[in-house]
Amino acid sequence: MTEQIREFDVAVIGGGPAGLAAAAAAASQGAQVALIDRNSQLGGILNQCIHDGFGLHAFGEVLTGPEFADRYVRRATDAGVFLQSNTLVTSLAPSGEIICSRYGQRKQLRAKAIVLAMGCRERTRGMIRIPGYRPAGVYTAGTAQWLTNLANVRIGRRVVILGSGDIGLIMARRLTWEGAEVIAVIEKLPYPSGLPRNINQCLLDYEIPLHLSHSVTCIHGKDRVERVTVSRFDETGTPVAGSEFDLVCDTLLLSVGLIPENELSRRAGVVLDRTTSGATVGASYMTNVPGIFSCGNVLHIHDLADWAAEEGERAGASAAKYAEGIHGDAVVEESIPIRAGDGIRYVIPQRVSRSTDQVLMSFRVTEPRGKTTIRAISGKAMIGSTQLNKAHPATMVQLRIQIEDLAGPVEVTCS
Amino acid sequence: MNHRVITCILCPNGCELEVGWDGEPTTQSVEVLGNLCAKGISYALDELTHPERTLTTSIRVRGGVQRLASVKTVSPIPREAVVAARELLQPMVLNAPVAIGQVVVEDVARTGVQVIVTRAVASQSDPEQS
Amino acid sequence: MPRLERPTDQPIPGGGSMFDIVLIGAGVVGSAIARVLSQYRCTVAVIEKESDVGMAASSRNSGVIHAGINYAPDSLRARFCMQGRKLLLTWCDELNVPYKVCGKLIVAPSEEEVPGLRRLRSTGEANGVPGLAIIGPNEITELQPGIKAVAALHVPSSGIVSPYAMTLAMAEEAAVNGVTFLLECEATQIRPVDGGYAVDTDRGTVSGRWVINSAGIHAGHLAQTIDPEAPDLYPCVGEYLILDKQVGESLAMSVYPAPPVGGAGLGVHITPTTEGNVLLGPSDEYVSDPETTSCAGKTADQLLEEAMIMWPALPRHLVIGAYAGIRAKRTSPSVGGFGDFLIRQTPSADRVVHLIGIESPGLTAAPAIADYVVHEILHANEPLVQKPLSEVVHRPWSTRFDDLPEEEKERLVAKDPNYGDIICRCEGVTKHELLHALNNPLGVKTLTGIKYRCRATMGRCSGGYCLPRMVEILQEEHGWEPDDFVLRGPSSPAFAGRLIEERHD
Repeated sequence: MTEQIREFDVAVIGGGPAGLAAAAAAASQGAQVALIDRNSQLGGILNQCIHDGFGLHAFGEVLTGPEFADRYVRRATDAGVFLQSNTLVTSLAPSGEIICSRYGQRKQLRAKAIVLAMGCRERTRGMIRIPGYRPAGVYTAGTAQWLTNLANVRIGRRVVILGSGDIGLIMARRLTWEGAEVIAVIEKLPYPSGLPRNINQCLLDYEIPLHLSHSVTCIHGKDRVERVTVSRFDETGTPVAGSEFDLVCDTLLLSVGLIPENELSRRAGVVLDRTTSGATVGASYMTNVPGIFSCGNVLHIHDLADWAAEEGERAGASAAKYAEGIHGDAVVEESIPIRAGDGIRYVIPQRVSRSTDQVLMSFRVTEPRGKTTIRAISGKAMIGSTQLNKAHPATMVQLRIQIEDLAGPVEVTCS
Repeated sequence: MNHRVITCILCPNGCELEVGWDGEPTTQSVEVLGNLCAKGISYALDELTHPERTLTTSIRVRGGVQRLASVKTVSPIPREAVVAARELLQPMVLNAPVAIGQVVVEDVARTGVQVIVTRAVASQSDPEQS
Repeated sequence: MPRLERPTDQPIPGGGSMFDIVLIGAGVVGSAIARVLSQYRCTVAVIEKESDVGMAASSRNSGVIHAGINYAPDSLRARFCMQGRKLLLTWCDELNVPYKVCGKLIVAPSEEEVPGLRRLRSTGEANGVPGLAIIGPNEITELQPGIKAVAALHVPSSGIVSPYAMTLAMAEEAAVNGVTFLLECEATQIRPVDGGYAVDTDRGTVSGRWVINSAGIHAGHLAQTIDPEAPDLYPCVGEYLILDKQVGESLAMSVYPAPPVGGAGLGVHITPTTEGNVLLGPSDEYVSDPETTSCAGKTADQLLEEAMIMWPALPRHLVIGAYAGIRAKRTSPSVGGFGDFLIRQTPSADRVVHLIGIESPGLTAAPAIADYVVHEILHANEPLVQKPLSEVVHRPWSTRFDDLPEEEKERLVAKDPNYGDIICRCEGVTKHELLHALNNPLGVKTLTGIKYRCRATMGRCSGGYCLPRMVEILQEEHGWEPDDFVLRGPSSPAFAGRLIEERHD
C-alpha cells in the first residue's frame, strides 16, 4: 500500500552512528526529520560491535557498541526524529524524492535536504582475487561478527584471519574467548592496519601470531576450507618464491578493507572521489548535488564511531540549515579546493567556500610515521599545523583552519 | 634497569609506552615515556603488576526477539580471570525482556565486578517493549 | 527439532522397478532432455551426483547464445547450434528465462587478424547465419564505445542467456511434470540386465529400458563401462572474472577476439550477462582433475590483460568475483582445437545412448540435442505417446521483482507483504523470492541453490548483507539449525554448530 507522500525538511538514510547523530542534530535545530534504516534495530553496525572502546570522545566514558548506539537512538528520539526501521531505500532522486520498501509497504517520501549515512560494506574475497577454490568457510569479518554476536552461530573452529583491520582483530579475540582456535592473522602490508591497542589486547594477550608482509595465496578445499597457503610479499607487492607455507584451518576470515556504500548516491548523480570511494563534499558536507549531504563511513572510512557521529552532527546541522533556506554556507558554491599533498592520502572536505569561518579537515597519512608535522598550506602561507608523536594510516587525523587565512587552494602535507 | 614497551589500550591513541623500572615495579620505581596522558603511567604499572581487561561477550536470551544479549564487566577484571569469567557466563540464560544496564552477575569469578547487559532484547510477545 | 530433509532421504526406487528412461547427468543437456520427455507418457529418472542440477559446466560458462559462425558446416556442432538457437529462444519465452539477442563483435586489434574475420564470416554464411558484416572503427564505436580495433565482424543474431536459470527452469518444469530427480546420486557403471539396463550408483541401482548418458566431463569413462570403444574426454578448465553491474551499464554486446588458431577455446571475451554484470574469460588450460574449480591468481591477471587489449578503459578495480568451469573436450592437449559433438548408440546395446564432448556451443545446442535424442532416436525406435496439453504443467521462471516497474511492485507488495521485505541490497531480492526459491520442486535447500534461484549472495557484497538476513529468517521462522546451512551440499557446511549451546527449554 502506498500512502500520501510525506514531506520532511530533512531525510537521513541510514541509522548508524553518523545517521542518528545527523538526524538528532537536524531535529534539534527545529527541522522535521525522518530517519530511514534497513535493520530491525537502529544503531547500524554498532549492534554487533559488542566489544568496548566506544564513546571516549563523545561521552568521556568507555562504552560498548550497543550502549553507544543506544545513547544516539535516545538522542534522536528525544529530538523528535521520525524513526523508520526495517525499511530499505531503493531509490533516491536528486530532487529529494525517496522510494523505500518494507514488509507490506512501498513508500514514497520527499525531503528538502537528504543526508546520506548508509555506511560501508566489506571488501570481499572476489575483489582481492584470492586464488584457489571457493569452498564454504570464507567470510568477511563483519559478517562473521554478525553471525557470531547476533545469530548465535559458530562460523568455524580453526580460523585464519586475512587482514589486520580492527574488525578482524576484534574477531580474533572474540572467537578465542568462544573456544575457537585462531591460528594466525595475516597482513600483506609491512605494518598492521588496525589500531595498536587492538594488536595488544586482541592478539598479544592470546599469543596469536601476526604475519606482516604476508598474504593468502591459495585457498584449498572444494567443499569446506581445509587449509590456506600463505606467502611472504616483498616491497613491490610480489609473492616471494619459496616463502610459502600452509596453515590448516576450516575458516578464513577477511578483514581487508571497507568500501563506502554509494550505489544509491551514484544513481542520484553524486560524484565520487576515487581515493575515498565516497562523495566529494564541501565544508558543509554537501555533495555536488544541491541538498544532498554525506557523512560517516559512506563519505570516508572512519577509525572510530565517535568521529563518524561527530561528522554526522555537523552534516545534519548543515542539512537543517539548507532545508530552512538560510542561504549561508550550504548553498554557496564551494569552489576553493582542498588537496591531499605529500604523505596524505585524502582530505575531507575536498572544497570550501569563504562564507564559513573555519573548517575542520579530516584526513589520513599514507604510511606509518614517527614524529610528524602536519601542515595546511594556502598560497605560500602555512595556515594551520599540528605535531603528532606518531602518525598511522589506521588513525584519522583532524586539523582546523580559519577561512580568513585562505589565499587560494589549500594543501595538507606531512613531514 | 628493566625495560618494556607496552601499547596502552585505554583509548584509541594507543600510546606506545617505554617503561623502565628497577627492582619491583612500583609507583616510585616505574618511569614511563611516550604517554599522552597521566592514565598511561598507571596503565603501565598495572600492566606490569596485575594486567586487567574488560570482558565483553554474549548470553542467551529466552523468549526474546533475538537469541543473544551482549554483556560486559562494568570494570576491567584481572586478565587471567577473563576466560574463567566467560566460562561461568556461558550456561546462563536470561528471560526477555532484557534491558541495558541490567545486572546479570553481582561478582563474576570472585573478582568483585558486576556483569551487566549492554544491548536490550525485547520480548517476543511484546516486541515494542525493551 | 527435526532435521531438514536431504536429497539422500529419498530412497532409490528398487525392487526390480524399471523406468522407461534413465538419464545420467542433469546439466543443461540432461535437463533439456528431461523437459522434452516430461511432455510424453513415460517414466523418467534423472541421476545427478551434485545436490542440484546444472552445477558443473552448465552454470560455469559465458552464457552466450551462439550464432553459428565457428563450426564447420557439416558438423553436429553447426547443425545443433543453428537449430538450438531457434529452439532456445522459443524455450526461453515459454519458460520466462532471461535472454537478450544483443549481438556480438569479433574484433581484430590489428590488420593481421582481419583475414580470420573473413574466414569466420564465410563459415557463418555457409551455416546460414544472417546479417554478418565486417565493420570499421567508426561503426564499432557506434555499436560499442570504448573498443579498440581496426575491424570487427558484427554478428547481430548472437545473444546472451542466463545459463543457470535455463537449466534450472527446464529441470524444475520436468520435475513438476513427473520426472524423478535423484540428486546426490553418482552413476558408476552401466550394464545390461533383463529387459533393459542397470545404472549402478553410490546409492544403489536404477534400471531403465533406455539409458541416456549426458554426464558431461564424465560421459566418456562412464560410456566405456558398457561401450569400450567410446572415446576419452579431456578436462580443460576455463576461468572467468565477474565485474560489478556498474560496468554492465556501459557494455551493450559481447566482444570477442578473433579466435586463436588451434586454441582450446574461443579466446578471452568480454560479455554482458542478462542480470547486468560483465564476464571476462575464459582461460583455457588442460587439467588432470575433471572436478577442479580452482582459480589461479596469474590467470586472473592474464584475463584482465587480454580483455584490456580490446577494451583499454576496462575498470579492472570493479572485479567482484571469479569462477572456473570444465570443458569436456574430445581433443587431447597435443591436438588442441575442437572436436565435434558425438551422439553414439552403444553398438552392442543400442538403447544406451552417449552424449560425448558436448562443449561449446552446448548451451545453445541443448534444446536441439534434446529434440534429436527424443525424436530421432527414442521415438523413432518405439513411438512415444504425447501427453495432452492440458496435462502438461507450465512452470515459468520468476521475473525478478527488482526488474519490475514501480506500479507492479506496489501491486505485488499488496498481494504478499514479503515482496516489500528486501533481503539482498545488491540484487534487490525480496523475502518472497527467497521463500519461493526454497520451495523449489527439486527440494534443493543449499545456499548455492538459493543463489541461482533468486540471486541472494550473488551480488557485489557476496552475501555480506543477505547471508545474515537469510540465517535470521530461516532460523527464526523456519526452524533451521546452523547445521542445515550448507553451501553446495552435505560436505560443504556453512557453519560449525551453535556458538553457545541451546538446550531446548
